[in-house]
Amino acid sequence: MVQFTVEELRELMDNPINIRNMSVIAHVDHGKSTLTDSLVQKAGIISAKNAGSARFTDTRPDEQERGVTIKSTAISLYGSLVDPEDLKDIPVKTTKNDFLVNLIDSPGHVDFSSEVTAALRVTDGALVVVDTVEGVCVQTETVLRQALGERIKPVVIINKVDRALLELQVSKEDLYQNFSRVIESVNVVIATYFDKTLGDVQVQPDKGTIAFGSGLHGWAFTVRQFATRYSKKFGVDKTKMMERLWGDNFFNAKTKKWTKIGTHEGQTLERAFNQFCLDPIFRIFDSVMNFKKEEIPKLLEKLEIKLTAEERDLEGKQLLKVVMRKFLPAADALMEMMILHLPSPAVAQKYRMETLYEGPPDDESAIGIRDCDPKGPLMLYVSKMVPTSDKGRFYAFGRVFSGTARSGLKVRIQGPNFLPGKKEDMFIKSIQRTILMMGRYTEPIEDVPAGNILGLVGVDQFLLKSGTLTTSETAHNMKVMKFSVSPVVQRSVEVKNANDLPKLVEGLKRLSKSDPCVLTYIAPTGEHVVAGAGELHLEICLKDLEEDHAGVPLRISDPVVQYRESVNGTSSMTALSKSPNKHNRLYMIAQPLEEGVAKDIEQGRIGPRDDFKARARVLADDHGWDVTDARKIWCFGPDTNGANLLVDQTKAVQYLNEIKDSVVSGFQWATKEGPIAEEPMRSVRWNIMDVTLHTDAIHRGGGQIIPTARRVLYASTLLADPGLLEPVFLVEIQVPEQAMGGIYGVLTRRRGHVFEEMQRPGTPLFNIKAYLPVNESFGFNADLRSNTGGQAFPQLVFDHWQILPGGSPADKTTMPGAIVETMRKRKGLKPEVPGYENYYDKL
Amino acid sequence: MAEYGPTLSTPAERTFEDSIPVVADPQLRMSHEQLYLQYEIKRTVREIREGQWRRIALQFPDEMLVDAPRVYEKLQSGLKTERLLSRQNSKLRTIGVDDSVPNGAITTQLTTNGKADHEQTDDPERLTILADTSYGACCVDEVAAEHVDADVVVHYGRSCLSPTARLPVIYIFTSRPLDLEEALVSFRQTYPSKDAKVCLVADIPYNHHLAALAQRFREEGYSNVFATEIRHDPASLIPNRSIPPEAQADPEKLREYSVFHISTPPSSLLLILTSRVGSIYILPTDTNLGTSSEAATMPLLRRRYGLVTRLATAAIFGILINTLSVKNYMTALQHCQDLIRKAGKKSYVFVVGKVNAAKIANFSEIDGWVVIGCWESSLIESKEFYRPIITPFELEIALQSDETRGWGSEWVGDFGTLLGRSSNIGDGAAQKTSELAGTDGDKHTAADNYDDHPSDDEPPEFDLRTGRYVSHTRPMGRANPNPTLPNHSDDGTSSYTAPPSSALVQRAKGDLATVNGAVSPAAEFLRSKRTWQGLGSDFEIAYERDDEGQIRGAAVEEGRCGVARGYAVGGDEART
Repeated sequence: MVQFTVEELRELMDNPINIRNMSVIAHVDHGKSTLTDSLVQKAGIISAKNAGSARFTDTRPDEQERGVTIKSTAISLYGSLVDPEDLKDIPVKTTKNDFLVNLIDSPGHVDFSSEVTAALRVTDGALVVVDTVEGVCVQTETVLRQALGERIKPVVIINKVDRALLELQVSKEDLYQNFSRVIESVNVVIATYFDKTLGDVQVQPDKGTIAFGSGLHGWAFTVRQFATRYSKKFGVDKTKMMERLWGDNFFNAKTKKWTKIGTHEGQTLERAFNQFCLDPIFRIFDSVMNFKKEEIPKLLEKLEIKLTAEERDLEGKQLLKVVMRKFLPAADALMEMMILHLPSPAVAQKYRMETLYEGPPDDESAIGIRDCDPKGPLMLYVSKMVPTSDKGRFYAFGRVFSGTARSGLKVRIQGPNFLPGKKEDMFIKSIQRTILMMGRYTEPIEDVPAGNILGLVGVDQFLLKSGTLTTSETAHNMKVMKFSVSPVVQRSVEVKNANDLPKLVEGLKRLSKSDPCVLTYIAPTGEHVVAGAGELHLEICLKDLEEDHAGVPLRISDPVVQYRESVNGTSSMTALSKSPNKHNRLYMIAQPLEEGVAKDIEQGRIGPRDDFKARARVLADDHGWDVTDARKIWCFGPDTNGANLLVDQTKAVQYLNEIKDSVVSGFQWATKEGPIAEEPMRSVRWNIMDVTLHTDAIHRGGGQIIPTARRVLYASTLLADPGLLEPVFLVEIQVPEQAMGGIYGVLTRRRGHVFEEMQRPGTPLFNIKAYLPVNESFGFNADLRSNTGGQAFPQLVFDHWQILPGGSPADKTTMPGAIVETMRKRKGLKPEVPGYENYYDKL
Repeated sequence: MAEYGPTLSTPAERTFEDSIPVVADPQLRMSHEQLYLQYEIKRTVREIREGQWRRIALQFPDEMLVDAPRVYEKLQSGLKTERLLSRQNSKLRTIGVDDSVPNGAITTQLTTNGKADHEQTDDPERLTILADTSYGACCVDEVAAEHVDADVVVHYGRSCLSPTARLPVIYIFTSRPLDLEEALVSFRQTYPSKDAKVCLVADIPYNHHLAALAQRFREEGYSNVFATEIRHDPASLIPNRSIPPEAQADPEKLREYSVFHISTPPSSLLLILTSRVGSIYILPTDTNLGTSSEAATMPLLRRRYGLVTRLATAAIFGILINTLSVKNYMTALQHCQDLIRKAGKKSYVFVVGKVNAAKIANFSEIDGWVVIGCWESSLIESKEFYRPIITPFELEIALQSDETRGWGSEWVGDFGTLLGRSSNIGDGAAQKTSELAGTDGDKHTAADNYDDHPSDDEPPEFDLRTGRYVSHTRPMGRANPNPTLPNHSDDGTSSYTAPPSSALVQRAKGDLATVNGAVSPAAEFLRSKRTWQGLGSDFEIAYERDDEGQIRGAAVEEGRCGVARGYAVGGDEART
């Protein structure tokens, strides 16, 4: 049943104008994978009868079992427009009616949204799936925001219309109102994250950027499709017809005139959309589901649907499925919408280049990306690693933005820490094979030109999760992806049998590779830690680790959260520390870093690699910093890119540039292990107030300065009302009114608080937004379900850090104090938090 | 801004603590009798006379230095009396010595004294007090002793009893009192069952109580109590102690025993014992609580594991010599260097005397330190150090590949044991690793899709501490496990090949020093990780040239001289 061959596909790849790279994104359970299946059915890889239930892109057994997509999966499809005349409607001129659609199905659950990020990076368009009944949910908004941030153009399908018809039995006008409400809320989100370069990307049915349908039944339509049908009948222009088929447009059957007014001589007119688009669908539903056997053949004839003998014998839902699928095949509608309205790589890369590339916009790599030039220098971004059947090896999955990737090509592999001109994190290696990724299968392919998505064999050892591949020696990195989730929940694992330890270590490495977000490491206490975005994410990761990556029995601890150390105020006096030889003195004060700055650093908007003048501008304009201060940022930390800053505020100090390296080393060290419980520090700004140094270089070497810098940083932190930061989830709960009381009870017990409560228009459902400390979130789902009779569906995503309330962490009687004490004991430290006197030297 | 260096008015109230655990309660001035007994003057005098040593070095730990002059006087007068006595009846001197060796005294006699002729030269013996030991107080400072040309060292205080390389040693353990009744009560609480198998171990100053204590326990009805005795063997299952006879044949038997340790042991001892005995109970002696508690050794061991894995991706190691007297330290150094070189990493050797944070932090290009010291002092656990410090045993584990690295509960502190072990399996292990590398390669070629080109770069390694990839963890190249460069010859001295030319060559700016073709990792560090690269790095050197293009010379002027506290400029003595 394969309708296309690899050779055919390869031919299509050469024509970037006829390529569409797109991802399917949505809230969990809105039907992405099912909808994807109907597209796959069109391309002919799986047989028609399994479409709607096979979930072709759910390649893992547990995905099939749970009915939840965990990993994003790519497939290449061949498509063409039903009517070649439609080619004219594509904004960019093309003559060939052959299209290559690279489609990535992504998970909807918020815990896996890092997979979505990875998918969005390699695509130019997004098919946003929205449930008719549930409407725009949290994750819809999140993924839409992510997509727009990456300059990805959205089109929308309103899914599960069959549910509205069958279960809710809504009227036509109600359905229309429902549709417009959904569309409006989608457009609100799009307007919020408006990007000037991308332009207006609001979706409108009358522009054909919205489809309506049912993934499960395999049908969908756009207003454009109906417009095409009726434009011939009425003899009007198609575009005009499209406009008439949405909004307040009515056709007066008596006067045979179009009007904007919904009444005529006291009679209510039927809306054109209802009359021309919804009516046939309603009639089919009515006659099939109510077993009006005699009506069906007439209707079918009218709509020019032919059934086979076997199909004619079907009844009820089965028949409905067949009829609807023949009447309005989902794949046709979606293909048409994607081909017409989503940009081709050639178009998209023009405006995406500056958000994709770190280097200057006029070097050869940038120009190659901009022009999507298959003859330019290779620029390939690997966005994730996909496990192969060969244990421990991975396919590198990514997209060619410029040049052509082919087997045997020698490339420079640049990891996320690569800096142009430096050797670190840069490797030279030849690509062993290039492949096409198609759901469960891979197909070898000779070479892949710019604009296409591919898999690579043989570079997996050089990249942990993502990276840039290039042939240009001057190329900078493609921008590193920033995830909307953070690995804030962690569990430690240990082997049951000591001999299995090497296998566990190996397994941790593989796990770390296979997931874009998970973090695995060995803590200073010697524990093996796996950190994930949420409980479900961790559960899946640990299951993979135990059963697949490590393959040995494991003991897994209860989930815990990571804390950060910070300060609440400014140091009460200038902290002073002297070097061991007493010849050098450092003076510093600590103060809290503005939350906005810390967030911007974590999101990569402010970073150590920025040009210091540009960075100073951002800090001054957006965060009210003094420009002189902003220009004198010495470093970020921990790990040279964390959300702590060291600012030089000294005036005319001799030899200062000589000790900078040493102070920076001390800063990296101190921010990695703070003074309170040796947890990493966050959101602190230290100002170097003054420095006295010995005149002799030998007496102000690293040995004297590094430990002193650490001591003075500790002293100033302890003088600035130190505190612990805990991660906080944003919880969104959808719940019927009567179950709301239970939610408040559960949240209050768990230190959560509601900050927004909104009724969803037209439904008895409420949307509740609340903050909940991650530490209190374990078992929240089950608790909530039992307190609301299973009617509440929460979604938790990491939102921000907050100071752990309850008092000073140095005081053992407070809650933070108790937490600090247990942490210190676990780490084998003295249970008491040291006083500042331990690090402060008197003049 | 101060134009001169800061004034040195700050009292040195903060000194870096010695990292070696010292069992010390401030000793009150003791009476002459006490001193006489505590420092075992009589035995010392006798043994000195017996060995006919002329130059004697007295090594005191810091907290005993107060007593040093008095001990010195006592010894001198003791020796003097002996000399007079022996002049009278020199022939009776050696009779009846052997059966009166006091409990716990051990004399090491590595070299028989050359002057041991029977014609006694009756010059007075020369005693020298050694203060401020270069390394740990538990080790014999042979180098300092050699400075005074000593024939023998008298070592006071607790000792690690590591075998010495050059000099004979008289150990004086300076015993401490112990409340036997309290120990008994605590023991009863710890072991309710009368037939519990217990090894009694005490820290060296308390060791002489053990026999009496064991006797009391047996009277109480504890039938399986074994009192250890001091042995001169750090490689023993319980370092420097005798072990129960049944365990001698089968080390596994020792696991049935519980150790009851009097006084808090050094953490290296805890680590060593973790895998060898069933449980460890500690009776602290510094407080009067008198209750014993079980030692939490597993967290300690796990932390060491965390440290070891952290250094698995270190590129440059510093080997820190923390002893110059323990036997085989040169071999141990050689062993570590070999291990590091085979792993394609770089090592530098440092001798800094007593280790402290400032000294260590001076070498920021070093990713991790390996300390070669006695079994007690090589475990340096302190948060003050900029980079972690591990032992040679831990180095072996850190340098294993992730596929083979295991971490049981075994921990070896004594490098003597380590050397013995590796010399047994030395070649085997090397073969094994090369085999492993071979099978690795086979595995890759078997899955022929992944065959690597020889010109490809070394893949990065997974840093277990951060969970990220790090590149260039093997700056000296892994591809070449047995490098062809001239290795160290067997006698432990490195053969040195002279550079082809000794003429001065002007180095182009930015050129890096290379070692056998590989760029020196430290030079690379200086170039890439430092913004400040030293004086002269921030400007171009421009020579004045004459008409023929020759560099014009300038007259040499006298510069500053002196020490950092103040300099003299030129001829005048004025300090600047």
